[in-house]
Amino acid sequence: MTERPLSGLDAVERGPLPSDPSAPAAPAPVEGQSDHPSVAALASRFGPAVQGHRLMAGDQTVVWIAPEKSLEILTWLKDDPAQQYDMMSDVTGVDYGSGRPIEVVYQMFSTVHKRALRLRCRLPLEALEIDSVAGLWHSANWLEREVYDLFGVTFKGHPDLRRILMPFDYAEGHPLRKDFPLRGRFSRAEQTRRALAQDVERFYGSQELAHGGPPQQVPARTEPEAEG
Amino acid sequence: MGLGDLLPGGGTQKSEGGLGMFGAGSPTFLTTKIDFVINWGRRNSLWPMPFGTACCAIEMMAAAASNFDLARFGMERMSFSPRQADVLICAGRVPYKLAPVLRRIWDQMPQPKWCVSMGACASSGGVFDVYSMVQGIDTIVPVDVYVPGCPPRPEGLIYGLMMIQEKIREESLSRHFEHRAEDPALVALAKANEAEIVGLTGPFGNSTQQEKLSGAPTDDNSA
Repeated sequence: MTERPLSGLDAVERGPLPSDPSAPAAPAPVEGQSDHPSVAALASRFGPAVQGHRLMAGDQTVVWIAPEKSLEILTWLKDDPAQQYDMMSDVTGVDYGSGRPIEVVYQMFSTVHKRALRLRCRLPLEALEIDSVAGLWHSANWLEREVYDLFGVTFKGHPDLRRILMPFDYAEGHPLRKDFPLRGRFSRAEQTRRALAQDVERFYGSQELAHGGPPQQVPARTEPEAEG
Repeated sequence: MGLGDLLPGGGTQKSEGGLGMFGAGSPTFLTTKIDFVINWGRRNSLWPMPFGTACCAIEMMAAAASNFDLARFGMERMSFSPRQADVLICAGRVPYKLAPVLRRIWDQMPQPKWCVSMGACASSGGVFDVYSMVQGIDTIVPVDVYVPGCPPRPEGLIYGLMMIQEKIREESLSRHFEHRAEDPALVALAKANEAEIVGLTGPFGNSTQQEKLSGAPTDDNSA
């Protein structure tokens, strides 16, 4: 006779367990040369800071770099005449769970040389910090805020590192982490209470809010004063 | 038998044009109940406040377009200001970040007002039984009619609005404050209390792999 299966309530109260260590891990770099011209240039210029490369999804070259040198490498990739990756298409994060490092992924494109390149930085869970590249590409500003919001990666030097998708006062953590419970950490009643206590003026402009006028107030009934 | 036949003297003094009730000496008034007249006016000029957040809103637009033609029931005027709206149609999923906005729009609508929760997500959270999603807007605002479906067909929305009309038809002005009174202290607060929210949204929801994701042992791995 086995113990009764835990209900969803028990599981919510106990919190999440570490995810399955046998789950697929991050793809690893492969040995060998790359056809992509930026890979050899990166390796010759930055040496050990470039940790490897791999061709993924057919034609996408991925380069792993050391996070402490990321700002230097990305600045060079943007400014060097032979590279000129002038468009930061995406900055995102990946959590593979089981205490594995969180990866920050930069997807870049050079409109001059018509080349795409993807960089990945492994960040250990105890040091989720990396230099911000919002000063190089304006598009990285909101994308880094999104990674901060959902994965908890701190971007050093970011001009405005706030949450962007979740409410500003969200206190339950970073939802896309593998150790985040599916329904959040608070009860639904607490989540509802906190949601309705939000200051709407903080994330909607005053013009938008003024459209419908102030909230409807039902005037309290008062007895007419007797004239004396 | 026309309407004129029912009026006192109306049926007996037909003029040549056949409009006896407007003829000389015939009565030019109707007697009715004030409840009936007011409810008749209210239910045939419902102005919806569309709160469309997802695919349900597409069906709501289809219901308002010419093929289904919501205007047949007096709802041709989608009011994009809550101040001129009678019925809030919440069509689509509502995340917690949007909950105070929905509540404020409801507070801004003048009485009398009604609310339609359109679709599975607005009514119960639907498949989005996750950290970010309101599990049914009835925890935020009072709901009169739930329209099931994912998304409901336009006929479903029209049927829901006709149920609102039926509800209005049975209201009485003498009980106006009973139906319509609002406590100003409850503006911008949740409609349901804590026990109701837990009961409505309890963690036995509809996400199929909650136990696996939470790490609870199942029959497969506990043996």
